[in-house]
Amino acid sequence: MNVAVPLLQVDAIEVAYHRVMTAVQGVSLQVGAGQLVALMGTNGAGKTTVLRAISGFLGLDDARVTAGSIRFMGESIENLAPHRVTALGIALVPERDKVFDNLTVAENLEAAATPRRADRAALLEMVHAQFPRLAQLAKREAGYLSGGERQMLAIGSALMCAPKLLLVDELSQGLAPLIVQELIHKLLALRDQLGLTILLVEQNARVALDAADHGYVIENGRIVLDGDAAKLGEHQDIREFYLGQGGAERKNYRDVKQYKRSRRWYG
Amino acid sequence: MQLVVNIAVLASIYALISCGYVLIYRVSRVLSLAHGELMMLGAYGLVTTASLFAAQPGVAVAAAGLLAAATGALVYWVLMRRMTGEAVLAAVLATIALGILLRGAMVLIWSAQVQHPARMLGFDNPVVALPGGARLSTISLLLVGMNALVYLALWWFLTRTRYGIAMRAAGQNPRLAAQRGINLHAVYALAWGIAVFTGGLTGILIACDAGLDATMATIGLKAFPAALVGGLDSLVGALCGAVIVATAEVLLIHYVDPLLSDVVPFLVLTAMLIVRPWGLFGSREELDRV
Ligand SMILES: Nc1ncnc2c1ncn2[C@@H]1O[C@H](COP(=O)(O)OP(=O)(O)OP(=O)(O)O)[C@@H](O)[C@H]1O
Ligand SMILES: [Mg+2]
Repeated sequence: MNVAVPLLQVDAIEVAYHRVMTAVQGVSLQVGAGQLVALMGTNGAGKTTVLRAISGFLGLDDARVTAGSIRFMGESIENLAPHRVTALGIALVPERDKVFDNLTVAENLEAAATPRRADRAALLEMVHAQFPRLAQLAKREAGYLSGGERQMLAIGSALMCAPKLLLVDELSQGLAPLIVQELIHKLLALRDQLGLTILLVEQNARVALDAADHGYVIENGRIVLDGDAAKLGEHQDIREFYLGQGGAERKNYRDVKQYKRSRRWYG
Repeated sequence: MQLVVNIAVLASIYALISCGYVLIYRVSRVLSLAHGELMMLGAYGLVTTASLFAAQPGVAVAAAGLLAAATGALVYWVLMRRMTGEAVLAAVLATIALGILLRGAMVLIWSAQVQHPARMLGFDNPVVALPGGARLSTISLLLVGMNALVYLALWWFLTRTRYGIAMRAAGQNPRLAAQRGINLHAVYALAWGIAVFTGGLTGILIACDAGLDATMATIGLKAFPAALVGGLDSLVGALCGAVIVATAEVLLIHYVDPLLSDVVPFLVLTAMLIVRPWGLFGSREELDRV
C-alpha cells in the first residue's frame, strides 16, 4: 500500500477482557483515507473486538487495549473513552443494539452528538437524502423497524456524528441479500460523495470483497491474511473456506485442520 | 372538599420528591437512597442564603435552588462517578452512607432545632380560602403549582430537547449512547443535578410551610413508596403512585387514626409489591416513553 500516512493505523494491538482473557493479539491494520477496507473472519475470530478497541471501551465492558497502539490522523486513541473517539471523527455501527429501541427514528437521529465543527441541520438533511425511508419513518419507534430499516437508522445516526471514518460491524447479518446489496452500494456512495473512509467487518466474504479495496482475514485473534481485495478473492484459501468455491468439492468443517496447515504457508 | 385539597397537596409533595428517585434511576440505574437527606440539605441551603439575602427573598430562594442543583452534580462527580455502571449494589450502598453522613453533618451545622426560613425572609404564608370552602396555605398552593410546572418542564425537556433525548438514550443503552458521542458522565451529572434541584425545591417549600428539622428526611423516605408503586422508571408512574399513596394516607388519617401517617405509604407499597411486584407502570418499561 502506498498511502503516505494512513487515516487509521492499528499497530500490534492486544485486547484483554476482564483483565485476563486475551481476545486478540498482535493485530495490525491500516485504513487509508477514502478506502473501504474489509475485515473478515469466522465467529469469535475477534472482529468485533478489533472494532470496539478502535471505538473505545466503557468501564462496564471491563476490556482494555493492553499492548500496541491505535493512531487516528496521527493521534493516539487507544483506551480513549468512546465519546471522545466519536468526537475525533470515528463512528461505529455496532453489531447488536445498534439503535435506541424506545426512541423514535427522529429521536434516534437527534440523540447523536455532533462535534462543534459540523452543522447538524445540514447533516440531518444529508441523512434524509441518503435514506429517504428514515424521513418517512420519523415518528416510528425504532424497536418496530425491520432489519433493513434498523441498519439504515444505525448508519444514519452514526453519520449524524459527522465521522471521517465509519466502522461497520456485520453489515449483512440477518438481512436479505437484496438489501445487503443496496446497503453496500449506499456505503460506496457515501464514501464517494462524502469522502468517507470505511472499515467494514463481514462474515460474508463475497459481499465484503466485492466492495472493498483491501481486505484482512482474522482468525483466533490474529491477522492471517491480508491484501488487495481483488487478489484476496482469488486466493485459494479464501475461495475454499470463505467463498465456498474452488477445489474439486466444498470443504466442510472436518477439513479445517488441513486448512490451518496450508494457511501457515502464508501466515 | 378539604380532603381533596389535602390529597392534592400531599400528592404534589410526593410527586415532586419521587421524580428525583425516578430520574436518577431511569438514567443511571442507580437507586439514590440519600434523596431525602439531599432534599433536606436543599432546605438548609435556604436557611443559609436567607441569612445572607434576608431582604431579597427571591434571590435567597434562587440561590438555594442553584446550590441544590450544584450539590447534585457534585455528588455524582465526587462520589458516584466511579460506581455508576459497575456493581449496582455498591452504588446504592454509597448513597445510603451519604445519607447517614449528611444527616449527622446537618445536625452538627444547623442544630436539631426547628428552623423557619420563611420567617427569616419575612414571609408569613397567609391562608387561602378556595371557592369550595376548603382552606390551604399559600405555600401549599405553590407546591401544587410547582409540581405541575416541574412535571411539564421535565416532559418538555425529555421529549423536546436534544439533551433530554440524549438523556433518555443514555438511560436505555449507555454503550450505544457513548458510541454516539454522548458524554455519559455529563448526562449522569445533569440527572443528579436536576433530581437534587427538584428535591431541594420541595424541601425549601415544605420548610417554608411547616418549618425545618431532621424529620424532613422522613418525608423523603415516605415519597419512595410513591416512586416504587409507579414502577421506579416512569415519571407518569411516579405521578400516579404519588396520588395513590397520598389518597390512602389522607383518608386513613381522617377516618382511622392520625398516627397512621408514617405507616401508610409503606402499607401501600407492601400491598403493591404483593399484587404487582413490578409496579404500576413497570411492566410497560419497554414502551413507556417518558
Ligand atoms: N465482553 C466479553 N467478555 C469476554 N470475552 C469476550 C467478550 N466479547 C468477546 N469476547 C471473546 O473474544 C473473542 C472474540 O470475540 P468477537 O466478538 O470479537 O468475535 P467476532 O469475530 O466479532 O465474532 P462474530 O462473528 O460471532 O461476531 C471470543 O472468543 C469471545 O468469546
Ligand atoms: Mg462480531
